[in-house]
Amino acid sequence: MKSIILLAAVVLLSTTACQSQINNAKTETVKVYGNCGMCETTIEKAANKKKISKADWNEETKMASITYDSKKTTLDAVLKNIALAGYDNQSFLAPDAAYDKLPGCCKYDREKKQVAIVTQPAKDTTKPMQNHGSHQYDGMNNTSQETNQLTVVFDTYFALKDALVKTDGNTASAKAKDLETAINAVKMDKLPMNVHTVWMKVLNDLKEDAEHINGTKDISHQRDHFMSLSKNMYELIKVVKPAETVYYQFCPMANDGKGANWLSKESGVKNPYYGSQMLSCGKTVETIKQ
Amino acid sequence: MLSLAILFTLLISNLFAQKIVRYDLYVKDTIVNFTGKAKRAIAVNGQIPMPTLTFTEGDTAEIYVHNEMNEETSLHWHGLFLPNKEDGVPNLTQMPIKPHTTHIYRFPIIQNGTHWYHSHSGLQEQIGMYGNFVMLKKTNDPTFRKGIDDLATVPIVLSEWTNIKPENIHRMLHNANDYPALKKNAVQSYGEAIKAGHFKTKLKNEWKRMLAMDVSDVYYDKILMNGKPSTDLTRIEGKQLKGGDKVRLRISNGGASSYFWLTYAGGKITVVANDGNDVEPVEVDRLIIAVSETYDVVVTIPAENTAFEFLATTEDRTNSASYYIGNGIKQLVSPQPRLKYFEGMKMMNDMMKMNGDLDDMGMNMSLNQMDMNVVMYPEITGDAKPKQDDKDPNRYNANALADIVTLNYAMLKSPINTALPKDAPVKELKFTLTGNMNRYVWSLDNKVVSEADKILIKKGENIRIVIYNNSMMRHPMHLHGHDFRLLNGQGDNAPLKNIVDIMPMETDTLEFNANVEGDWFFHCHILYHMMSGMGRVFTYENQAANPLIPNPKLAQRKLFADDRKMHFMFQNDFATNGNDGEMMLQNTRWSIGSEWRLGYHNMHGYETETHIGRYLGKMQWLMPFVGFDWRYRKMGIDEQEKNLFGQTNTKDNRAVLSLGVNYTLPMLVRFQTEIFTDGIVRLQLMREDIPVTKRLRFAFMVNTDKEYMAGLNYIFNRNFSLRTHYDSDMGFGAGLTFSY
Repeated sequence: MKSIILLAAVVLLSTTACQSQINNAKTETVKVYGNCGMCETTIEKAANKKKISKADWNEETKMASITYDSKKTTLDAVLKNIALAGYDNQSFLAPDAAYDKLPGCCKYDREKKQVAIVTQPAKDTTKPMQNHGSHQYDGMNNTSQETNQLTVVFDTYFALKDALVKTDGNTASAKAKDLETAINAVKMDKLPMNVHTVWMKVLNDLKEDAEHINGTKDISHQRDHFMSLSKNMYELIKVVKPAETVYYQFCPMANDGKGANWLSKESGVKNPYYGSQMLSCGKTVETIKQ
Repeated sequence: MLSLAILFTLLISNLFAQKIVRYDLYVKDTIVNFTGKAKRAIAVNGQIPMPTLTFTEGDTAEIYVHNEMNEETSLHWHGLFLPNKEDGVPNLTQMPIKPHTTHIYRFPIIQNGTHWYHSHSGLQEQIGMYGNFVMLKKTNDPTFRKGIDDLATVPIVLSEWTNIKPENIHRMLHNANDYPALKKNAVQSYGEAIKAGHFKTKLKNEWKRMLAMDVSDVYYDKILMNGKPSTDLTRIEGKQLKGGDKVRLRISNGGASSYFWLTYAGGKITVVANDGNDVEPVEVDRLIIAVSETYDVVVTIPAENTAFEFLATTEDRTNSASYYIGNGIKQLVSPQPRLKYFEGMKMMNDMMKMNGDLDDMGMNMSLNQMDMNVVMYPEITGDAKPKQDDKDPNRYNANALADIVTLNYAMLKSPINTALPKDAPVKELKFTLTGNMNRYVWSLDNKVVSEADKILIKKGENIRIVIYNNSMMRHPMHLHGHDFRLLNGQGDNAPLKNIVDIMPMETDTLEFNANVEGDWFFHCHILYHMMSGMGRVFTYENQAANPLIPNPKLAQRKLFADDRKMHFMFQNDFATNGNDGEMMLQNTRWSIGSEWRLGYHNMHGYETETHIGRYLGKMQWLMPFVGFDWRYRKMGIDEQEKNLFGQTNTKDNRAVLSLGVNYTLPMLVRFQTEIFTDGIVRLQLMREDIPVTKRLRFAFMVNTDKEYMAGLNYIFNRNFSLRTHYDSDMGFGAGLTFSY
């Protein structure tokens, strides 16, 4: 009996201790986007500030109950920290870099994020184009749509290349996943004949390299596959002739001195095979433009 | 009909007559509460920042300054072309505005652009006396840029707030107090170095006699944009902002000592003007704004129903302020990641020669193009330790290393020809920026304002100035009353500026035509550097006397008083075995200090040493001094002590004069040699602030009198620490140390 009383006292004390942690406590329930249990940990950690604020996020409802000291902070200050950790919520959108860094399972759909208004490079740059986000792709004609679907492939390739330049295995893996998705999304029958032929030729290799890069976080393994990926991508880009100029670059030291190539949107050399170790090793060997 | 006529006459008078624009500014003490603590500040017309003053080129400004405080004040119109007596530098271009008096500044507005104004008296700028000063172009101005000059515009003045009184900050800086580093988590102690695998780096750093340094000196509690840490900008001049809108921000850095990184969540930032002068639009991902610079930037709201964060982050990345531009959910921009301090330390080690000079290793740095600090920026050089090739010519070039574009001065190009008159005689001046972080002495050519003569120039001359920064910090050098051309490789289209930020080891060349007589201040705009004497005065030969300076000798003495000021420090350890303490008064060159060890009984004894010395040399490692020692201790009858040299010495009651010299050895150990009037010689090694961990300091002392001491200090806060030590005279003790 005595021990039960003691236990009860301890429980009582500890609960009051818990409650007394945050003074002037105010609790609000708000929407925080996320997917899984891992998100819950990150969201709650971002909101947790000793004696000032804490959060309890529900995976089912995507609602967070946020308790904070109303004299020391605000709901928005807590939500800002949650957004900086990568999670959109009722007040803030996460920085893209923070969202990109989330593990795969946490990549929730960004419902709140608006599509950017496309301002075409008009001659009079002073007047913003008045077309609205929802009509973004409507105005495009068929020919541009054909190459358009490959533009996504190229752009994800460049993003992957940038990740390798930064020697960032995690991002590289994520970008390779995007590349796989982009490759699978291409509707072959819509491609012009000459592009179609090359596409058929490189498709399997592209997929395989992308899968391998996605499947590991080991940067050297990723770079090995990036060599053949770049080679195939080069064949493809040569027939497509993208609107923007692309540079085919070469580093003689990569691949154990045998040399390796890559594609870049910039003329300046940023080596994806060595990153900061030998960032500017290499040169442009071919300029591809329309 | 009548109203039409009135309108017409108004228009006429606007067009043909000079329009006088009058502002009344009431300067008053106020109490502010930025952090939950009520603190003193200065408000003008009841607000911080001071009100935005707007004029159009061609107007005449009439500004009535009503000083309602009990202290003197002044207002300087930063970047303006005006008669010297309106420039607002107390004791140089006018006498200070006395308490409870009114002073009128009256000058024609003969330029346009984004500028600002601030107090030039003491440290008032730190506590609220800064504001926007906007001069619009006339609509028929041939340089009017459609799509830029007609955009919706918001002036923003950046500033910082600290709960500590600025006078106290200034004093602490001069005493190398490491409390700001502690607040910023930038102590860079041995413990942290070992954890980061940088023990050798730290050792080498101290070997080269450097205290751990940061990119900035002062810890601020809040960063403010127009007086607030966070602002929602949803409408401009009554018009709701929507997706696709462009907004022009006129940004002035009114911070006393902080540089700010500017970044935007909605894409690129287009820079359209700098220091009030138009530049060809240039798109960047980010820019750093030096203390007292101004930039006009254009940003676009790229989507509907979203507000995009425009973020100003201090250079040390400890704090920031935001403007949310647009309506709707707030899209954040990635914060600037924490600095990699030990990489910075390693870089400094490589650059610092044993004699305290900097060595740029043949890189010819200028115009902020090579930023040594990139080694500390994770967003440029990655999170991991960089394994860069030391031969890579781009290893400090942020724009070559990363895919984000950072603005540098070489990218600024004036849309107009800025060449100086070709036939004017050229006078070339060279300055080396010098400094000593440990003692917070900042100077030009190792001379502070009070130690140097005014620099004589002739009206009509082209003045060319070559500045080399041989100090360890960057300095925003500001010239009053003139714009200069910064020679940045743009030929005749070199940009016009009135501040140039010079990073360590950089050399920049600037030139201007001497066209307005007067005494013009040229100084570092970091407030605490300026108050330490980092500046010069340009003066024209045979110029007319300034009617506002009736007694030039008195004015000069008061001007020089700023950098001659003595800074006081006091420390005492209330320990179980006695009181240990010291007290010091120091300025640029002189030091008057007293140390004491007072036991609680005669066996422990009582002793004090007082030294008056002068620091010599640029690095101030050497300080000869005269001293006076007094001690009393009862060791027993006629007990005598022998020192290492066999000299005997009764310490029972001794009062002697001495001559000596202090020298700072590598590892920052202070070596003291002292010879006393009784012929006794004493050599001593001592260091009191070895950072073991973030809060723990180790101290030791040993001398040829066979005295020794070792102690540990645990720092609680700015004023208190726990200390335990063992002293050969007084034995073991523990106590509380109070420092001021």
